Amino acid sequence: MQQEPMIQAKGLTKLFGDFRAVHDLSFEVMPGEIFGLLGPNGAGKTTTLRMLSGLLQPTKGESFIAGHSMKNNQIAARQELGFLTGDMDLYRRLNPRELLTYFGRLYEVPEKTLEEAVDRLINEFGITDFENRFCEKLSTGQKQRVSIARTLVHDPKVVILDEPTTGLDIMASEFILQFIKKIAKEDGKCVIFSTHHLDEVERLCDRIAIIHQGQLQQIGSIQEVQQSARQERLADAFFSLVA
Amino acid sequence: MRFSIIKTIFQKELKEVLRDRRMIYLIILLPFFLYPALFYLIGKVGQNQQKQMSEESVQVLLNPDAEQTAVYEIVKNTAGFDLSLRNFDQSELDVLKNTIGIQVTADYNQQIAQNGTAQIEIFANQSNDLLKKRQNLIIQQLETINQQILLQRLDSAGLEQSFIQPLNIKKTDLASTKVRLGKAIGSYLPMMLLLFIFMGAIYIAIDITAGEKERRTLQTLFTTPSRVGEIIAGKFLAVLAVALTSAFMNLSSLVVAILLQAKLMGGNISKFAIDVSPTGWVWLILLIVLSAILLAAMSLAVVLLANSYKEAQSYVSPLMMLVLIPAILVQMPGMELNMTTACIPILNICLAMGAIFKGTFSIGAMALTVVFLAVYSAIALYFASLVFRNENVITGEKVNFKQLFAN
Repeated sequence: MQQEPMIQAKGLTKLFGDFRAVHDLSFEVMPGEIFGLLGPNGAGKTTTLRMLSGLLQPTKGESFIAGHSMKNNQIAARQELGFLTGDMDLYRRLNPRELLTYFGRLYEVPEKTLEEAVDRLINEFGITDFENRFCEKLSTGQKQRVSIARTLVHDPKVVILDEPTTGLDIMASEFILQFIKKIAKEDGKCVIFSTHHLDEVERLCDRIAIIHQGQLQQIGSIQEVQQSARQERLADAFFSLVA
Repeated sequence: MRFSIIKTIFQKELKEVLRDRRMIYLIILLPFFLYPALFYLIGKVGQNQQKQMSEESVQVLLNPDAEQTAVYEIVKNTAGFDLSLRNFDQSELDVLKNTIGIQVTADYNQQIAQNGTAQIEIFANQSNDLLKKRQNLIIQQLETINQQILLQRLDSAGLEQSFIQPLNIKKTDLASTKVRLGKAIGSYLPMMLLLFIFMGAIYIAIDITAGEKERRTLQTLFTTPSRVGEIIAGKFLAVLAVALTSAFMNLSSLVVAILLQAKLMGGNISKFAIDVSPTGWVWLILLIVLSAILLAAMSLAVVLLANSYKEAQSYVSPLMMLVLIPAILVQMPGMELNMTTACIPILNICLAMGAIFKGTFSIGAMALTVVFLAVYSAIALYFASLVFRNENVITGEKVNFKQLFAN
């Protein structure tokens, strides 16, 4: 049976005044797939992910999460979405357990299921030792673990990660990469993430899209992108497409 | 709107506020200790100043011609004066510290004896409280002598005192003690109350909007399936709860401090009792709640435009002016609650509260005030919702006001 795409971007366009941040961007991401969004600074990666998550309204075009339109059925679309950026922080005066419970309630996870989910995530992400400590007292790595757990507390079908490893040390970055691999390949979630690190892309992504000045330059598997750019390495393909 | 989501957001905001020591200090501890401490301090400083002033000696320069006059006797026999009998000029007094100069004409006794007018000129720096007080003391005693001489002159001329007082004008104040006290309380209490509500509202409003933006937690909330209306309602109720708590704490502390001060100074506490009818209390509570709603909504809408704590704090002063100026206008002569003033926000609150304290409120004007307050609160909340719906506000980008209203 053919699977339905979990993320659909259809002609997404975003204008900020006269500035065209994203232009006519279309792609689909399937369940269990890890999709990398690449591009230099200012290419429109964050704007694209924000439009997909409903934080920004597209000037033109539409996005769908697990079949729900972000424009017409935002609540249902967000219910299936976990969104994390390197730019998001945690509530300072809540401890990890309270924070996870808070977000679970916002996603209307039934209390009993939520309690179980919070316990499971706290164990799974090694949060037990600091589950009662206020988030403001946590280290960057500990915060990142809690943030990921927060993204998954409602068991979403789609996870969007905007530069999730920015500013993290090698250990914390590795933790995130392992997490991305696990939720896609073991749990079957659809993952889309943006990054500047091409080595992360080569390790994880099933398919990638390279955008430059708001426009899609190339989409496909890493091999397809390299072939299309007539380059043997992804880095060279990337430079030839955005130069 | 899902009540469970509103409740979740409300409880979370309150939990964070109650765990913030700075906020607890501002809302509960500061008002609890501030007024009693402030009143005690002011009372103590005032007492010390009074004591110091009464003990301090003032030099009086009196021209030698005045030695045989009543002026000389008064200054000589009054405690706290250091008398020097010598000639002086005005410029000398500018240099000398704590000195009063009195110039009495050489023909003082002759003028008094011949039913004439003796000239007495007193030189004192009126910006010096001590000199002003002592000058008044001298004048007071001279007035007594003046009155005595006048009575003697009338007597020797065979005239009654009524000869120089053809009209005896008496004033009778028809205002009851309740109205007088109500007017005094009604002039200041509403302003204080609004200030307390505003102070309580503004800091939590900043913390849960601009503060959250700065701490990069607001976006997370907007990626959840919560509706904008639910987010606004949850945050707004938290601001409202803190604003009302702050107002209650401040007001209770203020009343306790006033009563304590009155008791310490040996005053009659019952004189300070506010006499408000049961209907008045209902209106008063309604006004306080509506004021809190209005100020909470205003604070929330405005500070959300800021991207940082610092930027939000720069909005506090203009907002406070917006609250204080109408509250100060209440002091203007002739300001009463009527069908026109009932439509002006903030001013209507102060006048309506004043009318309640005086016991002179009319149901019509009160109802109009409440209706207008409800309308203004709704407008402020609508503006807050416009701001919350603006993607630039949530993502921390520069806000385009045209776009804000276009949406």
